[in-house]
Amino acid sequence: MPGAARPVVSAGALVRLFHVSKSYLAGSWALRDVSLELEKGEFVFLTGPSGAGKTTLMRLIFAAEQPSEGQILVLGRNVSRVRPAAVAPLRRRIGVVFQDFKLLSRRTVEENVGVALDVVGVSERDKRARVFAMLKRVGLQHRRYHHPLSLSGGEQQRLAIARALVNDPEILLADEPTGNLDPELTLEIMDLIADAASRGTAVFVATHDYSLVERYGRRIVRLEDGEIVQDAPVRGAIR
Amino acid sequence: MSGVAQVQAAFRAAFHGIRSSPVTSIVAIATIGLCLLLVGAFVLLVNNMEQLLDGFGEDIRVSAYLEAGLAPEEQADLAARVETAPGVEAVALVTSAQALERFRAAQGERAALLDGLDENPLPASLEIALVPDQRNQEGLAVLREALDGLPGISELGYGAEWIEGYEQAVGLIRGVGISIGGVLGLATLLIVANTIRLSIYTRRDEIEIVQLVGGSPAFVSAPFLIEGLAQGIAGGGAALALLYGFYRVMLPGLRDGLELLLGYADPIFLSAGGAGWLVVAGAALGFLGSGVALLQDGARR
Ligand SMILES: Nc1ncnc2c1ncn2[C@@H]1O[C@H](COP(=O)(O)OP(=O)(O)O)[C@@H](O)[C@H]1O
Ligand SMILES: [Mg+2]
Repeated sequence: MPGAARPVVSAGALVRLFHVSKSYLAGSWALRDVSLELEKGEFVFLTGPSGAGKTTLMRLIFAAEQPSEGQILVLGRNVSRVRPAAVAPLRRRIGVVFQDFKLLSRRTVEENVGVALDVVGVSERDKRARVFAMLKRVGLQHRRYHHPLSLSGGEQQRLAIARALVNDPEILLADEPTGNLDPELTLEIMDLIADAASRGTAVFVATHDYSLVERYGRRIVRLEDGEIVQDAPVRGAIR
Repeated sequence: MSGVAQVQAAFRAAFHGIRSSPVTSIVAIATIGLCLLLVGAFVLLVNNMEQLLDGFGEDIRVSAYLEAGLAPEEQADLAARVETAPGVEAVALVTSAQALERFRAAQGERAALLDGLDENPLPASLEIALVPDQRNQEGLAVLREALDGLPGISELGYGAEWIEGYEQAVGLIRGVGISIGGVLGLATLLIVANTIRLSIYTRRDEIEIVQLVGGSPAFVSAPFLIEGLAQGIAGGGAALALLYGFYRVMLPGLRDGLELLLGYADPIFLSAGGAGWLVVAGAALGFLGSGVALLQDGARR
């Protein structure tokens, strides 16, 4: 199997999991002995039925959870032992997109993207320029003074992607980003995510929509009951 | 450069926070304002009572009444000895005849009562002025000790015996003010902490998002600290304004009632420094209240 032939340690890996297990409640495992590497610029799909552990795996990578066992290296940092103060700098280098968008409903479209630059301390002038360019990339520049709740679902997810990408992250994590969207909007969103991958960002997308995997994927990681049951290149993928 | 942008962002977030939960802000401002109004009223009262004491301190004069039958040389000798006592600035001898003269001048027609007497009943006395920094209870005590047992002196009179009691009253009111201020300050701190916790709770989604995009703990906390600080300054300012209103509008009407406490001296307001401290105290209450709230809720990330 090509998956089995992958070297255990490779120089370009941005994310490495070594025998990671996660248990929320004693006696049950959300993830079990997961080992995985994510290379620079890779476009990887994480699939599996509901409850398989996809969200848990993503949350471990952006240090929202700590593993119960094993080690996780993200961008050279061991997040299983990271100090709380070191989490923020790490997250500035990781874009995250969720099924439920997680937007600031009281702030404008522009401010929602700007918050990712505020935390870094980008000056007002640079911020306006970068936010505008980013909104243009996702086709929302004409909506920049609107509030998120006045946008359609597809527009809200485009906004979330703009926020995730505005800092040029090395890693983009998307947890069922199209789970709430119609099929046409789904392709629109996936095109934006694929575009990020083509610009060199390592992209990790959790989905149970297999048609997306066939259309966009280069590599597929399948989870079942918290264990990796498949890690292989996608046959018949475009590109 | 980057710090400036982060500070601006924190202020914007604080502004959004206050605007999105005005009721919470008003509760915090009113709590701080009420606490400082009460504390400020005590400070105002104590200040005015102390002013009264300072004014009367200058009037402290001790009279040492002399025994009858002392010869004029003996009286002059005694005056010279008293002049060397510690804390004494000057000594003036008032003879029995001079005392009678003064009494007549002071009492006018009623002094006719004395005409029926064969003898002058008023004793000669030494009027003792103390050096300015001894014109207080301690100065009087030192003098009393120095004159104790000096032959020829029958009795000491102070002319302002009430001052001792008044000083004790001022001390008592100050003590009560400090205790009430301490308890009230602590209660206010906890109330403010709870209102800020409420505002942290209502904005937890926003906090989660800011943490998600890499907001540091300081960046997440700053808007709440700014919010607490602003509420504290507003509360302190409101207390100051109300206190000044009370001083200007209500106090003149209450003066007859307060005569017992304050005499008829013109009431004074807080000094600029005192007013500043009231606002600073408000700022500190708001800031610390936020800090307590953040510590209580800060464990999560
Ligand atoms: N916060 C949590 N507390 C307890 N159990 C959890 C928690 N989050 C997830 N789980 C459990 O962990 C398992 C994996 O869940 P999740 O990672 O959300 O799977 P997926 O995203 O693939 O649907 C499930 O059995 C789920 O019930
Ligand atoms: Mg999930």
